[in-house]
Amino acid sequence: MKDAAVIQADQLWNPSRELSQRVKRLRKEYVDLESRDYFRNEMIPFTTGTDWDAMWSPSQWGVVPELIPFNRAFLETLPMVARKVELPSDFWQKPHVIRVATFFREVIARYLPVQILEGELIVGGHFNAALSRAHNKKENREWMKVTEKWMKEIESLNSHGLGNAGATPGHLIPDYRRALKEGLKGLVAYFERLRAEVRDTDHKDFLSALIITCEGAREFAARYAEEARRLASECEDESRRAELLDIARVCEKVPWEPPETFQEALQALWFIHLLVMVQESYPGPGLSPGRIDQYLYPYYKNDVGGGRITREQAKELLECFWIKPNYAYDFIYRVGRIRGITSGYGQLITIGGHGPEGEDASNELTWLILDVIDDINLLEPKPNVRLHKNTPDELLKRVSEMVAKSQGSPFLINFDETSIKALRWQGLPEEDLWDYAPVGCLENTLQGNDRSGTVDINVNLAKAVELTLFDGKDLASGKRSGPRTGDPRGFKAWDDFRVAFEAQLRAMLLKFIEFYDFTDSIRARYEPTPYLSALVRGCAESGRDVTNAGAEHNYVTVEGVAFATAADSLTAIKKLVYEDRAVSMAELIKAIEDNFEGHEKLRQTLVNKAPKYGNDDDYADEVAHYLSSFWTEEVFKHKTPTGRRYRGGYLSWNYWIAYGPMTAATPDGRRRGTFLSNGLCPVDGTDRKGPTAVALSVGKIGLESAPNGDSHTISFSPSLLSGEERIEKLCSYLRAYGESGGTALQINVIDPETLRQAQQKPAEYRNLLVRVTGYNAYFVMLGKEIQDEIIARESHKL
Amino acid sequence: MRSSPGSHTSSEPEALKAGDVTGIAFNIQRFSIEDGPGIRTTVFMKGCPLRCKWCHNPEGLTLKPELMWFDVRCIGARDCIDACPKDALRLTPEGLIIDRGRCDVCGLCQEACPAGAIEVVGKEYTARQAFDEVKRDDVFYKNSGGGVTVSGGEPTMQPRFVAELLALCREAGFHTALDTCGYSSKEALVRLLELSDMVLLDLKTMDEGLHREITGVELGPIQDNARLISSSGKPLWVRTPVIPGYTNSEENIREISVFIRDELASAERYDLLSFNNTCGSKYRRLDLVWELEGEPLLTSAEMGLLARAAGDTGVHNVQWSGATRSK
Repeated sequence: MKDAAVIQADQLWNPSRELSQRVKRLRKEYVDLESRDYFRNEMIPFTTGTDWDAMWSPSQWGVVPELIPFNRAFLETLPMVARKVELPSDFWQKPHVIRVATFFREVIARYLPVQILEGELIVGGHFNAALSRAHNKKENREWMKVTEKWMKEIESLNSHGLGNAGATPGHLIPDYRRALKEGLKGLVAYFERLRAEVRDTDHKDFLSALIITCEGAREFAARYAEEARRLASECEDESRRAELLDIARVCEKVPWEPPETFQEALQALWFIHLLVMVQESYPGPGLSPGRIDQYLYPYYKNDVGGGRITREQAKELLECFWIKPNYAYDFIYRVGRIRGITSGYGQLITIGGHGPEGEDASNELTWLILDVIDDINLLEPKPNVRLHKNTPDELLKRVSEMVAKSQGSPFLINFDETSIKALRWQGLPEEDLWDYAPVGCLENTLQGNDRSGTVDINVNLAKAVELTLFDGKDLASGKRSGPRTGDPRGFKAWDDFRVAFEAQLRAMLLKFIEFYDFTDSIRARYEPTPYLSALVRGCAESGRDVTNAGAEHNYVTVEGVAFATAADSLTAIKKLVYEDRAVSMAELIKAIEDNFEGHEKLRQTLVNKAPKYGNDDDYADEVAHYLSSFWTEEVFKHKTPTGRRYRGGYLSWNYWIAYGPMTAATPDGRRRGTFLSNGLCPVDGTDRKGPTAVALSVGKIGLESAPNGDSHTISFSPSLLSGEERIEKLCSYLRAYGESGGTALQINVIDPETLRQAQQKPAEYRNLLVRVTGYNAYFVMLGKEIQDEIIARESHKL
Repeated sequence: MRSSPGSHTSSEPEALKAGDVTGIAFNIQRFSIEDGPGIRTTVFMKGCPLRCKWCHNPEGLTLKPELMWFDVRCIGARDCIDACPKDALRLTPEGLIIDRGRCDVCGLCQEACPAGAIEVVGKEYTARQAFDEVKRDDVFYKNSGGGVTVSGGEPTMQPRFVAELLALCREAGFHTALDTCGYSSKEALVRLLELSDMVLLDLKTMDEGLHREITGVELGPIQDNARLISSSGKPLWVRTPVIPGYTNSEENIREISVFIRDELASAERYDLLSFNNTCGSKYRRLDLVWELEGEPLLTSAEMGLLARAAGDTGVHNVQWSGATRSK
C-alpha cells in the first residue's frame, strides 16, 4: 500500500498521452455534448403520416422499468414531432414486411441526416431514429389492443417486484463476418437465388423485403459519398481534401461491394452496424459486433503486412471507428438522464479466445485493439477479452496490467472453458462452440445465427422466498401474487419449505413465461426487422423474420435476479429453522412482517449464525447449487409458441437496486429497501474469505446449466495490484478462475476514498470508469444510489 | 525475558497418527500475496516467544485460545452473560468486562452471541484439518507457484503440528514457506526447514541491547538460526519491521543489511515493512495495553531512504511495502 490510496483527478486517465491530434479532437467533440449544437445524434422519429401511426413499441422496452410510466407519452408524442416520409404510391397495397422494408429504405436513402464531422475517417453520424411500424389501420388497431393489454400487465408485474420482461431489441451478433466477406451485394445475390427457388408467396415477399433493405443500405452509403465529395470541393486543406475524396471512394464501394482494405472494412462494418440500430429504432443495447480481432484481421494484415498503411495509421482508423458507437448516448440527451439507463448500452466487442482446435486465436490486431482501449477510454464499444488455457502469458499480462492500472475495470473477462461447457449443455452444435462471443453485458451466444433474447426476462428470485413465507401473498400489499402453498408455520421440515418454495418460483416463472410468450407474439406478428434478418443466418432460409424465431438458434434468456439473497435466505431457513432449531418459523415471519424492527437479536442471528454463499463454505454453496440447478432446469423445460427455448442466466442489470424496496425483508437478515444481491456476487459484505474463496463458490454453483453467462464482479484495492509481482499474481488468479470459477468476471480496481472524492467533485472525475453489473460506466454519471452502492461494495474489500 | 529458545517445545503431546497432531492457529488466511511467491494461504500459529513492542498480531502471543470482544458488533443482547458457566462476563457502561482469571475459554459465549461480538481467537486443528482447509485453494497454488506459509505467532513453537502440516502440503505438491522470528530450538528449526521450500525471517536490529529491550529476547540465537537457515541453502527472504523510534534508523537498516550480505548467502530478498498502526483495537479487545497506540505512520520518503540505505550496502533485491502517510 504505497502512499494513501486516493487517486487525484489529475492522475486519472488523460486523453493527451497516446492519441493523435485528430483522434483527441474527435474524442473531445463527442464528449463535449453541450457545445456540439451542430451535431447531436438525437432520436428522430419518422412517420408514414397516417393518423394512427406508431413509432414506439412499449413491449420492446419492458426490461427498462424506468420507462414504463412514459410509454403512453412516447406513443402519443412521437407522431406529433415525426418527420413525414413520402412513400411509393403502391405502399399500402404491399404486405407488412415489404412496407417495413420500404419505409426503412426510404428513410435511410432520403431522410436520415447525413453528416461528416471534421477530421473523421470513418463516417456515419445519425443513427438514433424511431421508425414507423408501418401498420395499416387494421394492423394498428390489433396492435394497439394487445399493446394496451401488455402495458397493464407489465405495470402489475413490475410494481410488485416480481420482475420484468420485454422483447428487447439488439442482444445478438449479426453475421457481420459474412456481410464483409461477400458485401451486401453478395447477400442480395443469395436472397435472389433463394427467391427464385421458394414457392411460398410469404417467403418470397420476405426475401424481397431483405433485398429492399440491403439496397437501401447501398443508397445510404452513396449519400455519404456525395457528402464527402461536396465537402472535398469546399475544402481548402489539401490533405483533408484527399481524405474526403478517399472517404467518398470508400462509401461508393462499401458496404455493397466487399471491402478490401482495413479502412473499407471498418467503414463497411460501421455502416452495416449503425443501420441495425436505425432499423430496430434502438440505440444499440446489446447489438454486438463479436470477435472483431478475428474477422477484421485479414484486412489489417493485408494493409499493414503489405506496407499499404502503418500500424499507427491502422490504430488511428480503428480509433475513428471506436468513437462512433458512443454517439448512441446522444439518444438520452433530451429525454434526460434517467437513472441507470445512462450506461446501459453494450455494443460488446470480443477479442482473444481460441480457434476450432483450442489453439490461441489472438493476433496483432488483438494487441492493437488493446492499445486502442487503453488509450481512448470510452464507454463503447464495450470490450471483452476471452481467456482460455492456451492464452499466451504476455497477452494475459497485458490484460492484467490494464485491469490493475485502470482505476475501474476496462474489461469484461470471459472464460472460454466454462462458457463453452454451458453452451454445449444448451445443445448448440459442437463444431460452432469455439466461435461463441458474448453480447450486451456478458451474455454468451453464437455469432451471426443466434438470437437468445439475453435480457428479455428478469425474475426476482428473492421474491419467491417472500411469497413462500406468506403463502403466496405480497407482504406489502397483502395481494395474492403466487399460489397457496400453505402457512410455513405448519411446515415440519426443510423439505416442506423447499417444496413450497419451488412451487412459488415455478409459478412466478410460468407467469413470466406466459407474459413473455405474449410479448414475443406481439413483436413476431407486428414488428418485423427485415434489415436485421438479412444479417442473421437462418432467416432467409426459413422465411421467418429474426423477431419470429427465424435465426438458426433461438432462445429466450430468463435472468435470475438476487441469486445470493435468495440462496442465503434459503440457507438461513434450512440451517437455523430446521436443523439447529435456533429460530422458529413463527418468530421469523413476525420479524419479517416487522421488517426486523424490534427483532435485532433475531436479525443478527440470521446474519451471523447461518453460513453465507461466497465463502467457499460447502453448506451454503450446496444450497446455492441447489437453487441454481432447480431454477435453470425448470427454465429450460419451456419454449415460446414461436419456437424459442427458454434458458437460464444470471445478470441483474440494475434490478437488484430497483427491486430492493419492493422486496420484503429476507431471511438472510436483509431489511426491505436494502439492495438485493447483484448477478452472481455474494450479498455485500458477506464474503469474508477473499477472492479465491468467492471464485470457488461461484464455480461450485454448476453454471453449465446457465449458458447465458453469469455476472460476477469482484473488487481489488489498488494496493493489492501495484507492482509487477502482484500483477503476475493477478494473472495466476485469472488462470485459476478459468479453471474453477464462473463464466465471466469483472474486476474493479478502485478504493472507496477515490470514489467518495469523485462523488464530491464530479467535474474532476469525469474519466473515472467503474464496472457496475456487466457494463462499465462513468462513475460520475451514475445515480447516487448506485454510486453509494459501489462505494459500499468497495469498502468491504481487503 | 525468556530463558532459552527450545524450552517451550516440550509441552506438545506425543505423536498420534500422522496428521492427527493438533495445534492451535488463530487464523488461516487465504489469498495471502505478501508471504512468499504466488497466491498463498497463511496459517497463523498461536504462541510467540518474543514480545515485540509493535506486535501487530497480539492475538498470536500466547499459546492458548483467548476471548476477544468486538465493541462495534455488540448489540447488548447479554446472551453471553447468561451462557457463561463461570460468571466471567459483565456488561458495564464501558463495555463488556471479561474476567480472564475465571474464563476458561469454553466458547459458550461465542456460540450464544447472536451478533458475533465475542470470538474465541485460537482454534485447535489437527494437522489434517488444517491441511483440508488450506488445500481448498490448490488450483490457485498450482497456477501461481504459490502454496502455504506457516506464520504466527511463531510456528516453531508448535513444531510437531507444523511439521505434519508442511509434510501434508509437500505431499500435495504445494510450495511451503516458514515464516519465523528465528528464536527457536535448533532441532525444531532443522526439522521444519527440511519441510520448507523457503523461509521468511524477521530481523529487527543487530544491536543486542536494543534487541533485548524491544523484543524481550537475545539476538544471538536468532543470528545463529539465521546462519543455519542460510547454510541449508533454502531461499530466504529477510524482513525488517520498520518501527518509529526503534528500528527506523539508517544505521540499523545498514547493519542488518551488512549481516545479510556477509552471512546469509541464501537471502534472495530483503523487505522493509513499514509500521502498521491499525492494530490498536486488537489490543483493546484482548484487554492489553499497547505502547505504540496513536503512533503515526512513517512517510514514504522515509521508507524510500531506508530502502536505499539497505541497497547501498550491496544487499540484493530490497523492497519496501506497507502503509505510509503522505506528509
